Amino acid sequence: MIGNDIVDLRLASVQSNWRRKGWLQKIFAESEQNRIWDAEDSNHMVWKLWSMKEAAYKAHQRLFSLSPKYNPYDFICTDSNVTVHNYSYQTVSKQTENYVYTIAYRDQTNFVSKVFTDKSLQYKNKLVYYIANIMDVNLSAVTLQKDRNGIPCVKIHNKITDIAISLSSHGSFSAFTVDL
Amino acid sequence: MTKEELLSKLKTIIEPYVQNQEGLQNMSEDTNFIEDLEINSANLVDVILDVEDEFGIEIDNDGMDKMLTVKASIEVIQDKLAAK
Repeated sequence: MIGNDIVDLRLASVQSNWRRKGWLQKIFAESEQNRIWDAEDSNHMVWKLWSMKEAAYKAHQRLFSLSPKYNPYDFICTDSNVTVHNYSYQTVSKQTENYVYTIAYRDQTNFVSKVFTDKSLQYKNKLVYYIANIMDVNLSAVTLQKDRNGIPCVKIHNKITDIAISLSSHGSFSAFTVDL
Repeated sequence: MTKEELLSKLKTIIEPYVQNQEGLQNMSEDTNFIEDLEINSANLVDVILDVEDEFGIEIDNDGMDKMLTVKASIEVIQDKLAAK
């Protein structure tokens, strides 16, 4: 089970003022707020923890076919783990000067992930291309769509597959993760 | 406050965060903030804080859970106003 999330740090600083009164408290537990204020770069930490929560949300939503909910405070980050109720997800994050990218996963996943920094936002096409190659089918046989809960899924020859994918884009950056 | 007044106040609140202006023009009760208006998910926190300020209410976690559509947001706001 996988989920991913990317944050364009420059766009985030334009879109969100996380120092606004009450903002952090709506999303982050006290332990997470402490981690933010103790961090060398609090801004990076805000968006790292946010991307961890979002990535874990996507993995969790997929695992249980959950309808959409806005509950980032239910996902608690401890080190690189995210726990929601009794479920725990591991995460791996990549931080650069320009973006933070996190993949959340659970169990023995064998995922492939790619970040695109070229602003072309071709991530969906690239994922289709990748899946077509791996599954040895024509490019035109592979389509991506969202189910009734908004969870992305892969169809091959119009048949739903159990290939788990996650897509994320923000500003100049986009990424896919696929678990084959 | 009538539902129309509430809807118009809500529309004013969400406007600065909307990235799909066409979605805003066609806004109905079924409009989804993220899917239809392309509001960034981190900005939903700002929508919630603005709603709290505008209506003088506090939105708890249970209310926040639901605030993904116009319809659900109106219900949450009406509930909190009634409990005031």
